[in-house]
Amino acid sequence: MTRFWAAFKEQLIEEAAVGDIGAAIRHAIEPNILFKWQIGSFELIFSDVIVVSWIVMMFIFVVAWLAGRRREKIPSHVGQLLSESLVNLLLNLCQNSGMTYDQAERVVPFVGTIGLFITFTNLSSLFKIPPPAKNPAFPIALALLTIIYVIATSIRLVGLRGFWASLVFPKAMLLPFRILDFIIKPMSLALRLFGNVFGAYILMEFIYIIIPVLIPGVVGLWFDLADGILQGAIFTYLTIMYIGEIVEGAHEAEHEHQIRQSAHI
Amino acid sequence: MDKGLIALGAALAIALAAGAAAIGIGLASGKAFDATARQPEMSGKIQAMLLTAIVFIEATAIYALVVSLLLIFAF
Repeated sequence: MTRFWAAFKEQLIEEAAVGDIGAAIRHAIEPNILFKWQIGSFELIFSDVIVVSWIVMMFIFVVAWLAGRRREKIPSHVGQLLSESLVNLLLNLCQNSGMTYDQAERVVPFVGTIGLFITFTNLSSLFKIPPPAKNPAFPIALALLTIIYVIATSIRLVGLRGFWASLVFPKAMLLPFRILDFIIKPMSLALRLFGNVFGAYILMEFIYIIIPVLIPGVVGLWFDLADGILQGAIFTYLTIMYIGEIVEGAHEAEHEHQIRQSAHI
Repeated sequence: MDKGLIALGAALAIALAAGAAAIGIGLASGKAFDATARQPEMSGKIQAMLLTAIVFIEATAIYALVVSLLLIFAF
């Protein structure tokens, strides 16, 4: 019996020890380049990130089309109920962060789309497909798009004058810091998404290599499922907060201005 | 460069940042539970504020994670 156990242990250790773990992980984090074009001095790389994100886009398109196909005044099927409650949730979030209902209605489409997109691309790791956000280009592109959208939308909502007023609201001295904020915000958005997804991906690869049975399923519940959804929700929430901050600042500056004017009279 | 020193640097970077972030999140959520116990009717608003604060605190730990991953895989 003891000999059996010794042999069993030896076998287990032999099976668990997979050569160079570092090399295996290094191989896992390299982007899978399908093919590339050489255009002048540039190199266009077509990797699995593009394939996964297009599949996710198709998925979202089909689901959204199915959910919004038969619209009724009193919703009776699951699709319409779910999508309506999601939109309502986002509308409430927008109104809580300082927008009026009309402003919230104009912000929700983009914000909801980007939140769903990030959530579903992160969930691709459930199917053992590497999530696109592990490639730094993906979160950086999303963050740049988001910050451009934040600036453009807040100018559209409160006007150029209101945007300027929100920049210099309590004191004009704050202007350089506010401008610096617009560089730090996308950096923090991109790094947060990239760091979380990349870290979770490496950890999951590590666990798959050392203990391939049972444990990945349990740990994956957090790192694949909950963390992906959480990152999508946080990205959405922060985008709404950034827009709400500017709108509220403009509103307060306007209020202050009116008080000062009435004091003069 | 020495591989051991790089490993030590990466470990120190993530360990210090994770410890500090844990203390920060602990303080923030402790205060939030206190506030919820005193005014249960405000729990929704407090939860939202707590989530925001935790996101910002966690960001510092994530930066350290990115730095230590860069140390491991870029050198």
